[in-house]
Amino acid sequence: MEMAPDALLACIAAVQEATSSEALVLATRQLAAAGHPEAAPVLVEVLGFNNPGAAVAAVDGLIALGARAVEALLQLDPQNYGARAWAVRALAGIGDVRGLELLVDALGSDVAASVRRAAARGLGSLQLEQLPAAERSAIAERCLAALEAATSDGEWVVRYAVAVGLEGLAPHLEPSSSRWQRAEASLAQLSETLAGNPEVVRLRANLALIRLRQP
Amino acid sequence: MATPDAQHRAGEPISEAEAIERLRQTADPSQQYYGAWWLGRMRSNHPEAVPLLRIALRERKPRDPGAGVEENAVARNAARALGKLAPAAAAAIPDLLETLDDSDHGLREAAARALGELRAEAAVPALCRRLASGPGVAGALEPGSPRLAEPCEALLEALGEIGVASGEVVAVVEPFVEHERPLIRSAAARSLLQLSGEPRWGALLLELLEHPQLQVRRAALMDLGAAGWRPALEPIRRTLAENSLKLIALRGLVERGSGEPGEAALLACMDELL
Repeated sequence: MEMAPDALLACIAAVQEATSSEALVLATRQLAAAGHPEAAPVLVEVLGFNNPGAAVAAVDGLIALGARAVEALLQLDPQNYGARAWAVRALAGIGDVRGLELLVDALGSDVAASVRRAAARGLGSLQLEQLPAAERSAIAERCLAALEAATSDGEWVVRYAVAVGLEGLAPHLEPSSSRWQRAEASLAQLSETLAGNPEVVRLRANLALIRLRQP
Repeated sequence: MATPDAQHRAGEPISEAEAIERLRQTADPSQQYYGAWWLGRMRSNHPEAVPLLRIALRERKPRDPGAGVEENAVARNAARALGKLAPAAAAAIPDLLETLDDSDHGLREAAARALGELRAEAAVPALCRRLASGPGVAGALEPGSPRLAEPCEALLEALGEIGVASGEVVAVVEPFVEHERPLIRSAAARSLLQLSGEPRWGALLLELLEHPQLQVRRAALMDLGAAGWRPALEPIRRTLAENSLKLIALRGLVERGSGEPGEAALLACMDELL
């Protein structure tokens, strides 16, 4: 059920006029719960307020809006670093292919492991089912290349997320095609016993390999 | 594996050979400080790393304040790096034991942590000795400072990591679960859980995981992960804290724990938190 326009405007005003951190968190939760597409630009604005509690609520609200939140997320100022990190999480949760460039860029170059981690997961959960075959194949290739490159990320948690991302991407790759084999090879690499590669990453990569090889 | 992140954060990327040279020279302590940090962070197995870190640890003295590195900062970083270079750094255990009696509180803390990481059973009597006076003395607030008389958290955690579960060790650690500071209670519970595996200490950590202060919840998360206590899965998932820390804690449950919930459930929860 959508909120009446007046109620929505009151929610937006409460976010924009919040005078304390707690008030901002509460107002953002209410606006997120409204589930209204016009809330999206305001929720995106909240991502830049340097208030983690409010940003978490805004990300939840944006993910719930799904495709309707993507335009607002893509219009974010790329220089606003803190907001961008949250936007990557929202786009990863939404799975809309319009987020592809931002996710690829974040996985390859963001300085924060938490952002690269979210991007890796997001690249494995883009919604490709409805796309024409050619487009689907081109996007799958971009996702695969970005995930392959990140198998040597220095942070274990990012490599863990790469294993999860590769497992999610695999259904979009032709079985036993060269792309499938590349995904399998990357997972095999993540499952290796190497100095600096913790057991949890190896276990997760092995689990992905077992699931991939199931008929 | 290379960690481009860490290098960028600290300035320009350097090579292992460069880190060794920076630690070896003595004209610029800030370069030594960075060299020591680098060798630990990158888990260097360069044959000169441990010998040079031992030398740096022995050079504990006030340094030129103008150099931009405070007193004993190089020695502290050397101790931390040695802890990360287990098992190669076992040769440094006697140096670290000596450092445990240094008058510098921060240096004792770094040495205790390193001895824990090195699983140095030879350090157990010395660690116990520093805590034996109990929460009222070793754990008393130092006048004019926010610190306690001893670096209790590090000492308690080291005893748990080393894992010598003798009656004497348990008797030294147990009184600290009554300490007025929740972070000390958390460290003591973690240590006892590692030493005895008794669920009551896990239950105490779960209580702390619901503490109103984020800092306490974070500590309880790290302590549950260090002890690998798998019954904590659901409470970890629910607590209000950063996913990054929950993931570290769950990694501990996977790698250090056993029993139920099993790996599949733990990994599924980690997937959700990414």
